[in-house]
Amino acid sequence: MKAKEFNIKWGMVIDLDKCTGCGACMTACQVENNIAPMVDASNKLRTLSWMLVYELSNKKSGAEAEVAYLPRPCMQCGNPACVPVCPVIATDKNEEGGIVSQIYPRCIGCRYCMAACPYHARYFNWEDPIFPKGMEKALSPNTSARPRGVVEKCNFCHTRLMKAKDKARQDGGNPEALADGAYMPACAEICPTGAISFGDVKNKEHKVFELAQGKDAYRLLEKLGLNPQVYYVSKREWVRKLGDNYAATGKPGAAKKHS
Amino acid sequence: MGLDRRGFVKIVVGGVAGTLFTPVIWQSLDDVSIWSQNWPWIPRLNKGEVKSKAALSKLCPSGCAVKVKTVGGLPFAVAGNAANPMSKGGVCPVCAAGAQLMYSPARVQSPMKKVGEGKFEAIKWEDAEALLVEKLTALKGQDGKIAAISGDETGTANEVISALLAGLGNSGTYMMPGEKFVAEKGVKLMGGSGQPGFDIAGADLVLMIGADALDSWGATVANQKAFAATRPTGGVATAKFVYAGPVLNSSAAVSDKFLPVPPTATAAFALGLANQLISAGAVSSAPDFAEYKALAAKYTAEEVEKATGLKPETMKELAAMIKAAKAPLVIAGASFGQGAGALDFVAGASLNVLLGRVGSGMTLLPAAPKAIASSSVSEKDAASFLANVATGKAAVGALLVYEANPAYALPQAGDMAKALGNIAFKVSFSTYMDETAALCDLILPAPHPYERFDDAMNPYGVAKPTYLAGKPVVKKPVADCKDPVDVLLGAAGKLGLSLGFETYADVIKAKAAALGADFDALTAGGIWNGEAKGASLNLGASALAKAAPAKADDKTLALAPVCKLAYGSATLATPPANLLTVRDTELSGKDLFVQMNAATAKKVGVAEGAKVKLSAGSGEMKARVHLNEGVAPGTVAVLLGFGRSAWDEFTKGKGDNVYKILTVSDEAGTGLKVWAGSTVTVAKV
Repeated sequence: MKAKEFNIKWGMVIDLDKCTGCGACMTACQVENNIAPMVDASNKLRTLSWMLVYELSNKKSGAEAEVAYLPRPCMQCGNPACVPVCPVIATDKNEEGGIVSQIYPRCIGCRYCMAACPYHARYFNWEDPIFPKGMEKALSPNTSARPRGVVEKCNFCHTRLMKAKDKARQDGGNPEALADGAYMPACAEICPTGAISFGDVKNKEHKVFELAQGKDAYRLLEKLGLNPQVYYVSKREWVRKLGDNYAATGKPGAAKKHS
Repeated sequence: MGLDRRGFVKIVVGGVAGTLFTPVIWQSLDDVSIWSQNWPWIPRLNKGEVKSKAALSKLCPSGCAVKVKTVGGLPFAVAGNAANPMSKGGVCPVCAAGAQLMYSPARVQSPMKKVGEGKFEAIKWEDAEALLVEKLTALKGQDGKIAAISGDETGTANEVISALLAGLGNSGTYMMPGEKFVAEKGVKLMGGSGQPGFDIAGADLVLMIGADALDSWGATVANQKAFAATRPTGGVATAKFVYAGPVLNSSAAVSDKFLPVPPTATAAFALGLANQLISAGAVSSAPDFAEYKALAAKYTAEEVEKATGLKPETMKELAAMIKAAKAPLVIAGASFGQGAGALDFVAGASLNVLLGRVGSGMTLLPAAPKAIASSSVSEKDAASFLANVATGKAAVGALLVYEANPAYALPQAGDMAKALGNIAFKVSFSTYMDETAALCDLILPAPHPYERFDDAMNPYGVAKPTYLAGKPVVKKPVADCKDPVDVLLGAAGKLGLSLGFETYADVIKAKAAALGADFDALTAGGIWNGEAKGASLNLGASALAKAAPAKADDKTLALAPVCKLAYGSATLATPPANLLTVRDTELSGKDLFVQMNAATAKKVGVAEGAKVKLSAGSGEMKARVHLNEGVAPGTVAVLLGFGRSAWDEFTKGKGDNVYKILTVSDEAGTGLKVWAGSTVTVAKV
């Protein structure tokens, strides 16, 4: 299948050698997107983590042991596996910028998209969003609260894109050519080590343009051909190898080489 | 006229076609899909103008300079303050949840008076303040009868508290344990004075011994920013980072090298490295170099291997790496930010002296000018103080607890909570219903950081004198609370003492003026920086010579408490918004997992998931085992911040509290209470 192409391609480049796994991105994401806290958040089959920091290990011990942390938002695939399986077109990739949408009122909760997504980036709302008394006063104005029974996922803080475009219009600029940094999702904005870079990977004036083409840049499960818009960077070969568990070499571009 | 077959088919086909063309059915479907998700219990968003206001978020130990985003005046999110060099736009995971913490279910809503075991009733502020004044009046002038414990290392509030106590004829203001206290003692042992600072940004090799500088040690976000600046994404790293400590933690994860060192062998590791460096030609003009050299010579590669398990070549490689660096820097501390001995600090800091990096890499900060001249914080820490209360050595009639949680966050926490029972009248100035507040006779709710004036002088770790101040972001606090300093200043007035101020804001203004800083610029998100003082330190050889060698014991494991900032701190339970970040290999339901490597687990006779009991001193805790090859040999790693008995449904009763099994010992030669090298017995249950 051919990936959908747009003139603008919002993308992330996450430097795994800089991520300390502190979790600030997960917290900022929850806050921005009005995800209600769960009393038992250790039940990971029920939690909603649009942004999830995985822990990777090289499985060695002692001074040879290494870990890396891998923040995983929605990959906003160029050729998303979730879109064609949706029976009600509640998710689509049809907007300039390439962000895969999720339309909650249209979602019937069948969860086909969750089964299709190889990145486990989609979550089903098992519970209504009930906040502790008073905490609803701290709701972000950027994302509506979703009822139980619908699937939700990261949308690169889409409201921030709308606001950045509005601001560009107000300032007399071009909303279709936002400056680098004018639009930043909450996770990228808050990251204390700056491990998450964000921008238009097709725009030469954006930092991510070059970063996404760096020699240590790769994408998760490239072999599947979903063409994600999220790139990772690591100088550590074992980390890159884990990024595509079919890859034979661990080198960028390995996706094309194996069977 | 009957309905023939043709007529029937016409009606059916017409009906179907009509249904397809009428919008009613599609509109209804659409409406159903919208209205079936539109229930009154689904919260609606707040409307209003979105603004961003500078604040000092002292939810984490060092404090983050942040911008609080508000909608219609209500805070909802936090972003970094890019203009402030302390945060440079970054925010720690605790401060990231700041807006939601204003509405934490654990917040104390109004002044509370204890009316029975675990029972409180809400009272009015006039009555609460009158009760405080009455109790303090009764004990006024009796030395040692009134004491205070503060958990705020950086606030000028400490000056107000200690000046008040001094005025009442007492001098007991004790600090909760932290790195600063120990490090200052260590500097004294090296012939210097003042708080040490560490210029991570200016180093090309940073060796962290124990100190988890990139997650929980020092001014975390500033450290992370300094680290990040040396690692341009896709570019060449301009500095090397090495972590030597008990656990492959956040700092180790991004370091170039991780060296597993049990917490009992920190000093041996540092001196072993000194030996390697001296063998490779390092010399120092410090007066005690000869003595130091002789001492370090005892820590041969073989000795170090025995204590740490590190191979001689590993130490040699590290020494070579340090030698090749132009501006190496050694940061020593406990892996969980407290309980290390001054000698552990000296052993690490002496490497900076040996490498000629004192003054440039490791700095000393001059004493900050006081806002209140009569203030003085005690030389003793809260752990020693409460130990004296437990044994009856200190007979205290009233205790003021400011932003501290000694019943939870001191070693042998169970005994400490009991010791509090020996004090007749206890007041807690706390925003949240923590374990200590639940034991107090009077709770005077403190405002959340967005609701108050506060400041931070020299957060531990900063290389230059640093001062931050913040003002309220919201017009009115969410709870019926008052600034503790305002309450104490009011009480001082009624007790006939004049401290010269009426509000905390005035105190902070005076502090800023004493520093020559602009209060308005500070509260608008600015920063004040001074200059570090020039100083020379010796190698602390005579103190190090007294260091007792770590006891080798086959039956026990070294205990490595692990601090993850996202899971809260000594004064804050895991914020509800951060529970998601806790892994299911760390907490499952109510079971906390302790971590050890496979070899250690085999030695103890446990497997993945096994239920175990850890005991030491009079404390014990229950947990399950998770195998983690990133834990040093002979060590069990336990996360801090669990096992809460107060707070809220999000944290209460989850896991167990590792503070209960930390055992205190006296450090040879310094008399300090230390617990970073605690050992525990692990038994299968």
